[in-house]
Amino acid sequence: MTKILVVADIKEGVLKGSTKELLSKARAIGAKTAVVAVGSDIESLSADLADAGSDTQYIADDKSLDLFSAAPFTSCVVDAAKQFEAGLIWFGFSETGKAVAPRVAAQLDAACASDITDAQIDGDQITITRPAIANKVMQKIKVNTEQLVAVVRAGAFEADESISGTQNVVKLSAPEPDLKAVIKEVLSDASGEIDLGDADIVISVGRGVKDQAGIDLVKGLADDLTAGFGSSRAMVDAGLMAQNKQVGQTGKIVAPNLYMALGISGAIQHLAGMTGSKTILAVNKDPEAPIFNVADYGIVGDLFEVVPILREEIKKIKG
Amino acid sequence: MKILTTLKKVVDVELNINVENGAIIEDGLQYVMNAWDENAVETAVQLKEKNKAETTLVNIGGGDDNTKIIRKGFAMGIDNAIQIDDPALENSDPSIYAGIIQKVYEQGEYDLIITGKQAQDTDSGQTGIILAEFLELPCVSNVIDIEAIDDQHIKVSRLGDAGTEILEIELPAVVTVSDGINEPRLPAMRGIMMAKKKKISVMDLAGLGISWDELGGGSPKSEITEFMKSETRQAGQKFEGDAAEITAKVVDLLANEAKVL
Repeated sequence: MTKILVVADIKEGVLKGSTKELLSKARAIGAKTAVVAVGSDIESLSADLADAGSDTQYIADDKSLDLFSAAPFTSCVVDAAKQFEAGLIWFGFSETGKAVAPRVAAQLDAACASDITDAQIDGDQITITRPAIANKVMQKIKVNTEQLVAVVRAGAFEADESISGTQNVVKLSAPEPDLKAVIKEVLSDASGEIDLGDADIVISVGRGVKDQAGIDLVKGLADDLTAGFGSSRAMVDAGLMAQNKQVGQTGKIVAPNLYMALGISGAIQHLAGMTGSKTILAVNKDPEAPIFNVADYGIVGDLFEVVPILREEIKKIKG
Repeated sequence: MKILTTLKKVVDVELNINVENGAIIEDGLQYVMNAWDENAVETAVQLKEKNKAETTLVNIGGGDDNTKIIRKGFAMGIDNAIQIDDPALENSDPSIYAGIIQKVYEQGEYDLIITGKQAQDTDSGQTGIILAEFLELPCVSNVIDIEAIDDQHIKVSRLGDAGTEILEIELPAVVTVSDGINEPRLPAMRGIMMAKKKKISVMDLAGLGISWDELGGGSPKSEITEFMKSETRQAGQKFEGDAAEITAKVVDLLANEAKVL
């Protein structure tokens, strides 16, 4: 029977939705499931980890794991993978996953795949699907090893709210710290903000918002909707938005229920990060902007005029 | 300090990519330097300008397109170039690339390897990290800032899930850089002229002292069996006219048709 180990996505002490999405897919495949959680002060999450659909919870809880460091994180995942004898090791779509998955694969001498959107298991044969070339093509990949380490693309698997697992905690010993790449500090500019990966609605700004006043205007709409607040690359390059807000091939890949692109022309690199969204609304002055080619609803107009009306109209229907 | 950067040729993502019978149609494709590798080259050249450093690039593959991007690397300020050109390399994966770069590294006594964080064609982001595992070197990925502390240490910032992470790394080490780290320079005419005269050190796998089988080429861990065209979204309804009227209409559609409000 296939065994799938899911690496828990934990942010600021809270288990993120992607963990349940991955475990839902694992259970739908009919696999035995386990989860590995790495961090400090996380033992209290074991019930949440079971609720998310895992039958075994490997937990590495140690003060030294408070700040992310790739090498010790890798050791914990490898330890759990060996104990569980995992066939597939899945990471949610995160910077942690992108940094750790290739290391785990190298240490286990396993195949590694980034950004998968589907996985099929037929006997011993694992086959996966993933996008490439800025989402322009999909690749079907045959895995020749018994083990596969993969990062799953944001929004690829849907959470099944009806599933739950059983609590069976296995404590992992604390790994050696990395003495050659030492984490000194983390400058958090995202604390308390709505996570782009978790948000039901994401609103992103592009060059069309012009300046800080334009950003503030759109931020008001995002606050009204408790939406994640993202950005195109142009705004990051202009120093107006933080790098961790960038949606696109090089930044965050998001797949919310509703994505609003405000003043974004729609460069291919940006589209690669948001076309998995369920519904897309675009507001742009230029009727020929490429963003309209992927938008379900498009408003051709000046966003400085449109956004206040959007806020009013949304308030009306939301009461 | 001796710096090694990697340079990959990738298909120009701005152009249309067509798929037929499970394969990408090569006709009409154009190749450019991977954008993130351009950031890696710029990072190396800036470190050279601020500190004493010798910069070398390694490129895997042959042909005019690879020569073109190596010349561009020279024009941006890279000192030396090594190209591994071997017909066996047609179907390579990240661990094969990493195995080759490992061999190049071992023959050159480098202090720092800088790669782009991923390539625009595969978007995998594995080669640099797997290379560090093979070499058992410290590695930091998704780096957005770098500075030399002394001959043996660098300080880097990386964009992580919790924010901007600041690390001190003992050399030798591997870093993979994001596009946020710098704005790659446009080569000046003088650099372009000089780049034409520079020598590229070309060798095949035998010349490098490694065989296809040693690289695991005979038994790849995974293989692409098929390419498919991505499902593209269709343009939906686009409204022009009175802002108040069309905005109210769209909000109504979002709430009652798409049911996302």
